[in-house]
Amino acid sequence: MTQDQPLLAVHEALRKCFPVVEEQQGLWQSTLRDSQPLLASLSNLAEQLQAAHNLRFEDVPPLRAFPDLKERLRRKQLAAGDTVLDKLGERLATLLKVRDTVSRHVEQVLEIYEQHADSIGIDALLQASVVSPSVADMLEWLQDIERHYRNSYLKRKYLLSSIQWGDLANIQALPKAWDQISEDEHQSLVQDTLLNVSFFLEE
Amino acid sequence: MAPDSGSFPEEPLLKVLPLDARDRGTQRCRLGPAAFRALGAHLGSAVKISLPDRGSCLCAAWLRRDGADGFVQLDPQCASPGTAVGASGFRGSLSLRSLRLVSCPSLRLLTVWPVLRERAGAPGALNPAAVLEAAQELLRNRPVSRGHVVAAPPGAPGPVAALHIVSGAPSPDPAGLVTPRTRISLSGVPPSEAEPQAEVPLGGLSEAADSLRELLRLPLRYPRTLAALGLALPRGVLLAGPPGVGKTQLVRAVVREAGAELLAVSAPALQGARPGETEENVRQVFERARELASRRPTLLFLDEVDALCPRRGGPHRAAESRVVAQVLTLLDGISGDREVVVVASTNRPDALDPALRRPGRFDREVVIGTPTLKQRKAILQVITSKMPISSQVDLSLLAEMTVGYVGADLTALCREAALHALLHSEKNKDNPAVDEADFLEAFKRIQPSSFRSIVGLMDIKPVGWEQIGGLEDVKLKLKQSIEWPLKFPREFVRMGLTQPKGVLLYGPPGCAKTTLVRVLATSCHCSFVSVSGADLFSPFVGDSEKVLSQVFRQARANTPAIVFLDEIDSILGSRPISKTECNVQERVLSVLLNELDGVGLKTIERRGSKSDQQGKYKELKKNEELEFQEAFNRNVMIVAATNRPDVLDDALLRPGRLDKIIYIPPPDEKGRLSILKVCTKNMPMEPDVSLENLAAVTCFFSGADLGNLCKEAALLALQENGLEATTVKQEHFLKSLKTVKPSLSPKNLTLYENLFQKQGFSNLEDI
Repeated sequence: MTQDQPLLAVHEALRKCFPVVEEQQGLWQSTLRDSQPLLASLSNLAEQLQAAHNLRFEDVPPLRAFPDLKERLRRKQLAAGDTVLDKLGERLATLLKVRDTVSRHVEQVLEIYEQHADSIGIDALLQASVVSPSVADMLEWLQDIERHYRNSYLKRKYLLSSIQWGDLANIQALPKAWDQISEDEHQSLVQDTLLNVSFFLEE
Repeated sequence: MAPDSGSFPEEPLLKVLPLDARDRGTQRCRLGPAAFRALGAHLGSAVKISLPDRGSCLCAAWLRRDGADGFVQLDPQCASPGTAVGASGFRGSLSLRSLRLVSCPSLRLLTVWPVLRERAGAPGALNPAAVLEAAQELLRNRPVSRGHVVAAPPGAPGPVAALHIVSGAPSPDPAGLVTPRTRISLSGVPPSEAEPQAEVPLGGLSEAADSLRELLRLPLRYPRTLAALGLALPRGVLLAGPPGVGKTQLVRAVVREAGAELLAVSAPALQGARPGETEENVRQVFERARELASRRPTLLFLDEVDALCPRRGGPHRAAESRVVAQVLTLLDGISGDREVVVVASTNRPDALDPALRRPGRFDREVVIGTPTLKQRKAILQVITSKMPISSQVDLSLLAEMTVGYVGADLTALCREAALHALLHSEKNKDNPAVDEADFLEAFKRIQPSSFRSIVGLMDIKPVGWEQIGGLEDVKLKLKQSIEWPLKFPREFVRMGLTQPKGVLLYGPPGCAKTTLVRVLATSCHCSFVSVSGADLFSPFVGDSEKVLSQVFRQARANTPAIVFLDEIDSILGSRPISKTECNVQERVLSVLLNELDGVGLKTIERRGSKSDQQGKYKELKKNEELEFQEAFNRNVMIVAATNRPDVLDDALLRPGRLDKIIYIPPPDEKGRLSILKVCTKNMPMEPDVSLENLAAVTCFFSGADLGNLCKEAALLALQENGLEATTVKQEHFLKSLKTVKPSLSPKNLTLYENLFQKQGFSNLEDI
């Protein structure tokens, strides 16, 4: 029994970690869903700005009566855009929080493994049963998940930081680029992993 | 910790498999359980792997999912610079001994030098904070090792492409783990290149290379001194020279040597279809160069710049002049920050806009001409250094033969020779050695590229001296004036002789003037260009002159060279004193006079190194035979032939131009005999035929007449005896002698004789 002690400790840590991941994954997904309308509105704004830019106001008789219409309109649109960007920033902060939480937990698990690493044999690491995947696999999955969140967050952050009002075409393409990030990576990595460990968690 | 490590067999080999897609960027090294046990590793422990190419990489040990032994998969994300593992198809196997478990303490401090990604968004966005953050993200939770490079995965966003690990505390040697608590700082100094890269040897371009090297290296080596002097270094170089001499090669070699970044753009590739597109492309290229230059010395290389910056002006060239103006402003703008060196190359420097060729834009112009004898030898040495060459091959001889060959031609020659050796040598298939015969065979096939477009290049059927009967003294004179200077330059220099500029052969028609020239072309290994009226004259004003001067320019590029002007009287004529208007022939004449004895050469025709060019013979005396030959044979020799020397212009006949005037007399009796012997060499003759008698009676017969006589006699024999005729008899000769009349007459012979006398006088007076 004493030989299983370290392995059990790692199992314990894993059992604690996966629910956290599950919960955070829900938060992550909902945040992503929430961001989509914001991006769409940003893209719309960019389209409006583009249209206003292309229009020659002095050529349109009904608009000629309003002085500085073009500038005012532009200021208004930019202000609206900034509001949306602020909201997106909040979403991004949520994503960051998710990432950090997951990172912290994964790190803890790995630390616990490190502490007991010397006393866990290779066979024990690789031992898998019908209901429970091997410890090596689970640790690997956790690492992969953590890396997935980091990469995904980074990509989104760089995407948002590349927004410039001078480059309207780029902004118009934002929703697509945002979706593209999700498509590029293993969309179902976290879900699959959670399914794999579901019996292990119920044990 | 691994109790059964002893059970592992002695030094097992692990087969390297390509990486799984999902492991990319994880820095994992997947091992089987047995290897894992042997190493005593646990999940995630740092393993240093020595690679076959002397590099190494650092990975986190991880178990293979299928638990199979005998395989290894590497993600070389943190590896010593320049290792070729992973995606580039590294195959083979590693012994378990090359894997080493290393301790991996957490790092408190880490200093890295970032390699930034090109075009990372807007140029202003590259503040150190962003770079630092990207570096932190990239390094997080990774084991790293000093001197290694951590590469960002290709798809990842961010400004950082790779990080060199410079130092840390505790020192990450052999490994250290980056944790979220590690403080990362950026190093300002790039890590020194551990190993100098292999140098590309350049044959015979050392002077041009020095000039470029200086531009690239001075600001790197002595930045303070230059700043103190308030000097703005030249940042632009124009390389001019014919195609294939190695302009691009030179630039690449120098750049590699100096460790600089090369941005090579071919000017035609910048052209766009829409108005303004070309300018935009040009701007982008310069922008890119500036971006690169902010990291390390950069050289922007514009190949074929004449396509981009032609001479401005002219009615339909608005678009082109806009491009030129753009280039000019960009070149000026670059002088603000002294990082980018702009090198342009062209083979038509005269077609460039003059505004480009001033200090501040292209400060220096380096002319690389067709290689001289010495340079050719150097190039051949470089090319053949890696070829298995048999010891009989004489590179000096080969260099002597390859007149007018540029570097590219010589490479082609060697390649052809090697191929020939490979394909045609039956005896040693395994280790083919390239020998002299292979080179000679290749020499027949490869024509120098500078010759491909030359005017008046001839394929000459080789003729030997012995195939001309008689004329012994003329042959001697010709050998003296043309062959000797090429073959015995040392003796000529010793006697203070210079090579004659030109030779005029004159004499009655049919006396083997042209054949003599053909022999000359065969006997001396030099380029031979023959120009006739058909090449020169054209319906456009000025065209003939241009063609003639082009002939000389190309011939000068391929010295030693002989330019042969047959029937020179019809090409040139003379300038009458009375008439004032100028016709084509006179203009052509004036061009020829200039080419023969002009003030100097055009700058773009410079060849070899400068010191050689100004070299005095005295200095050269110390040096080798080759240099003698080289210095001596710089000019083009002209050989003219005419049968009407009386109409030639006097200016042409003076010493210094056509200074050797050789009269080719009609054959005398002895000469006729030898001509008859040559003509009847392939004819079956009765023993009663007496060529001596024939020679005695054929007074005033020219060489051509004698040839005709023999032909007639043979035909007559065929006619009389039917087609079965086997021999030609004396009577045939005598019979045909009645029909064939001599083309020379005493009258016009005396004309030539008298002319010769007069010429003799004028020569005396000159002296």
